[in-house]
Amino acid sequence: MIQKHDLERISEFVWQVPREYRADMRAPARMWADEELLDDALTDKSIEQLINTATLPGIVKYAIAMPDIHQGYGAPVGGVFATATRDGVISPGAVGYDINCGVRVLASHVDAAEIQPHLKNLATALYRNCPSGVGVGGSVNLYGDDLGDILNRGADWTLERGYALIEDLPRTEEYGRIPYADAAQVSQKAKERGIDQLGTLGAGNHFIEIDRIAKIYDAESARVLDLFENQVVVQIHCGSRGLGHQVCQDYVDQFQRVVKEYNIVLPDRELVAAPFTSPEGQAYVGAMGAAANFAFANRQVLAFHIRRSFADVLKGHVNDFHLHQVYDIAHNMAKVEEHDVDDALTQVLVHRKGATRAFGPNSPVLPDDLKEIGQPVLIPGSMGTMSFILCGTAGSMAQTFGSCCHGAGRVWSRHRAKKEIRGDKLRAEMQERGIEVRAGSLSGLAEEAPQAYKDVSRVVQVVEDAGIGKIVARLEPMAVIKG
Amino acid sequence: MPQYEELDHTADWAFRAFGSDLKELFQNAAYALFALEGALDAQSTLTREIHVEGIDREALLVNWLSELLFLQETKRETYQKFEITKLADTELTATVHGAQTQPITKFIKAVTYHDLKIIQTEKGWEATVVVDV
Repeated sequence: MIQKHDLERISEFVWQVPREYRADMRAPARMWADEELLDDALTDKSIEQLINTATLPGIVKYAIAMPDIHQGYGAPVGGVFATATRDGVISPGAVGYDINCGVRVLASHVDAAEIQPHLKNLATALYRNCPSGVGVGGSVNLYGDDLGDILNRGADWTLERGYALIEDLPRTEEYGRIPYADAAQVSQKAKERGIDQLGTLGAGNHFIEIDRIAKIYDAESARVLDLFENQVVVQIHCGSRGLGHQVCQDYVDQFQRVVKEYNIVLPDRELVAAPFTSPEGQAYVGAMGAAANFAFANRQVLAFHIRRSFADVLKGHVNDFHLHQVYDIAHNMAKVEEHDVDDALTQVLVHRKGATRAFGPNSPVLPDDLKEIGQPVLIPGSMGTMSFILCGTAGSMAQTFGSCCHGAGRVWSRHRAKKEIRGDKLRAEMQERGIEVRAGSLSGLAEEAPQAYKDVSRVVQVVEDAGIGKIVARLEPMAVIKG
Repeated sequence: MPQYEELDHTADWAFRAFGSDLKELFQNAAYALFALEGALDAQSTLTREIHVEGIDREALLVNWLSELLFLQETKRETYQKFEITKLADTELTATVHGAQTQPITKFIKAVTYHDLKIIQTEKGWEATVVVDV
């Protein structure tokens, strides 16, 4: 197993595993961390999984670990790498099962104190209106070609059907629609799983949270994003549900059948890959895009239910409860982008697993009003602690293919969390601190205990000090809704 | 011999299933899946026939467990008794018994190939499986 002395310190926050460390590496592997976060990452197989991604054919520059890295399967969670589109591979396992899992933040113009008397009712309404769990029907009935339409058109479909406001779309990564999505590449099984799951939260680490903005760090970015201290905001964390899981499963299985034909040898079967330009690679690209559109539509429908819940509970009591969309950001995707490689702008496929885009100011893909501040990066912390809103920087473009961390990152196994934490006690502790909790499963709650995660403030501090993100605001929870 | 044991994994769930032969190993791995979800039901009120294929033994195990998750989600059922009626190198036929499920709030998203090992030991067979939750 890799030891600390195997890593070279490149700068204060960058540690490198040289290419020579293992014979099968095609590029070095780098981790962005302070010493404590590096030590955390060395306690499990995170770095070994990172090194495995550095063996993928066509990888450019170096494989990247964000400061919130933790052990996953295939690629680590918090792993980023880019392959050349010309002769590199695409790996469904390195994208992950929950394709385009992501975070959306909505913001009101209400002060936290104003909703305090209604908080219990709000939490209950959100729990009731945003279904979660297996065996629970979705909140939208789909007919005829609806599902195919959603897979091809994502947020555009939700706009047509009245689930989105026109101004939500520019505040969604890719405007909520992946243009190369192809529903025809999604299996019947995947469609069967997705047909009744639109507008559902799912379980695991997915959640809805009502927060207040505890502190603004960057007044100018906050002004553009219309954020202020004590403002009530809502976070949504969820993804493409069973549909996305099945797309990944289908292609991981299919790629197992062809990987030998392409002479690709890998240290982990979960990283199975095919050339980006191959028929199999392109079929997965279309299916992944379709699953991503499903996830965008899913978060949009949940946003609709959250707006409806706010109106139901607050109308007549509080003014300005309308929620505008701050941003919606994707994890778990592979995207064709242009980045500087060896001093030349090169088209690459950036795989981000449990990591986000963090494009800097003036990126051509951003809407005009965000060009001055860079792309918002939404970073939920562990349950009941704090979360952050950042913006992408020129530094993220130069260092990390325009990428940033996605959360706090786990340090305890779910097994250990279940053994050491009691869900009912955890809920009581949060409620004593004034946080409303609605959860379907107490042991599920225990697995997400804050003790099981790294300190998110430490993670974002490294991000800011290393220059790959700029902190805009800190959020503190008022109500937590979980499956 | 226990049916399975839970293993530590930072982000997801992992387990090691045991069996005196490969059939029992595959059956116990399926049992572990639903036991970890806390979705085992005392009553068996329905039966399903399952057939899956895979390019090798490991792929067969992944596809077998994945098929059960697919059925769980789309049919809203959970299973607790698994009879593998045919097990060849690249295909498997089974009868599973279970019940309609109440909504469950802890569920497995997918079965991965990561660290997947099926090995023969002195006592029989072992399989290590990592699942995404």
